[in-house]
Amino acid sequence: MKRVGIVALNTFREAVRDRVLYNLVFFALLMMLAAVVVGQISIGIEESVIVSLGLSAISVIGLLISVFIGVALVSKEMEKRTLYALLAKPVRRWEFLLGKFGGLVLTLAVNTAAMAAGLFLVMLYVKHSLQREDAVVLVAVYFIWLKLALIVALALMFSCFTTPLLAILFTAGLYIVGLYVQELRNLPVDVMSPAMAAFTKWLSYLLPNFENFNVMAMAAHGRAVPGTLILQNTLYAVIYCAIVLTGAAAAFSRKNLK
Amino acid sequence: MKSQTAMALLLVLILPLGFARIWRLQHGIDSQLASVSQEPDDVLLRSGKLVKIMSLEYAPLMADIYWTRAVQYYGNKHVRGQANLEMLWPLLDVTTTLDPNLIVAYRFGAMFLSQAPPAGAGRPDQAVELIRRGIQANPDYWRLNEDLGFVYYFDLKDYPKASEAFLEGSKKPNAQLWMKVMAAKIAAEGDSLSTSMFLWKDIYESSSDPMIKENALQRLKLLKAQEDCMRLDALADEYAKRNGRRPARMTDLVQAGLLRGVPADPEGFAYVFGEDGKAELNLDSPLLEQQVLLERLNKVVPR
Repeated sequence: MKRVGIVALNTFREAVRDRVLYNLVFFALLMMLAAVVVGQISIGIEESVIVSLGLSAISVIGLLISVFIGVALVSKEMEKRTLYALLAKPVRRWEFLLGKFGGLVLTLAVNTAAMAAGLFLVMLYVKHSLQREDAVVLVAVYFIWLKLALIVALALMFSCFTTPLLAILFTAGLYIVGLYVQELRNLPVDVMSPAMAAFTKWLSYLLPNFENFNVMAMAAHGRAVPGTLILQNTLYAVIYCAIVLTGAAAAFSRKNLK
Repeated sequence: MKSQTAMALLLVLILPLGFARIWRLQHGIDSQLASVSQEPDDVLLRSGKLVKIMSLEYAPLMADIYWTRAVQYYGNKHVRGQANLEMLWPLLDVTTTLDPNLIVAYRFGAMFLSQAPPAGAGRPDQAVELIRRGIQANPDYWRLNEDLGFVYYFDLKDYPKASEAFLEGSKKPNAQLWMKVMAAKIAAEGDSLSTSMFLWKDIYESSSDPMIKENALQRLKLLKAQEDCMRLDALADEYAKRNGRRPARMTDLVQAGLLRGVPADPEGFAYVFGEDGKAELNLDSPLLEQQVLLERLNKVVPR
């Protein structure tokens, strides 16, 4: 486990060195602009739009980092041939993979936490004080981070058995499909054969359901998120990540690195 | 070296001149496009469900954007005094489909829809549909029932339905006591000055938007003037009973001891008696213009 930690820490350091956290400047500018402009061009949404915009920005920026850097985690090491030097040391392939995953998830945690702090500062500026119900924004941020962790795992898995471009497409595609899993479940079963109905039902449970993590509307209107949902989503993300990373480790261990 | 300096000088000269020309050219293009395009505003995607699907997980943000578009659309048309507000309903429809809990879109949207042109779209029927949709999505929010009652009372003059809306709202959590009183009062009296004053006062006090507040204040001033005129007419009747003729001026009432001084409207302009002997607003009063506009609007609104 110590070896996993070392790889994770180095991945985090590398991300910081690669100026990944520079996106925070963009986020800060966007939020400042929104705080000043929205009140003047709209009516009655000064507070809710800050939350919606802030959470959307955290999600989009995080998604871009998760997909593009997640896919490059392994492929870049192979391209630069640094992977060979690393694997020559007593580090197992799965430990390397898990370390890479942990490093990027840590980077995303720092990034997301910094953006959340910025969001709360803007909320304080707009609302002049923070109320207890604003804590739901923290839950929404946590759910976004869970979702990003799942996307990193998927990006890492795809990058283990295909080219970076295809891995990006597969990850982005699965993310979009994962937002409409509920629709898949609601397909009219009476017009399908029983086998097809069973297939779509099973598929809807197998695919990652990203809609689970979407509580932006609740956060924008200050509605509380049930504690059970927080626990269920945490477990869902942990178990799904474990499954995907196991698949990624299996693919990576069979990968011919010559 | 010399050629580099010359190039730098050329750039310094060309850049501002070039962009100044571009600036003017763009103005020309804008006016050309404005002359060929009659209706630049358009809602390309009118299906709220489709927009929701396309918004991925960002529907709340998209709802805010659509709501801002609705406000901007209404504001631009309002400033220009244009009566054609046909894009308002699709914008509000998409907004509330994207975020069914965006209360402000129902409340202000209904106001924009219900008022007669040019102040609004003159579609109280659509306002009712919008608020009913809001009530369905937010069943505990009593203020939407108040808005529904408001549209039935002022715009559709349907007093039984207005009373029903207030009564329904009074049963909801945190609803204010006066909702029940209002329901009974409207059911018994229908249209009355005191009810109208109470409702506009509540709009004035509960709204934080300057435009809505100003509108409510103007209505309150007009209602106050209407109330004053009714009282002055009663005094004039009393004067006629005593003297056998109606008063020609307000000072006649003062001299007869029926008034302590010449009364003024909320803008500070003294009331006068018109040719028909009824009390009315002074010709110099800014409220007169508002009153004429309102009377004209009331004739335009289909009842």
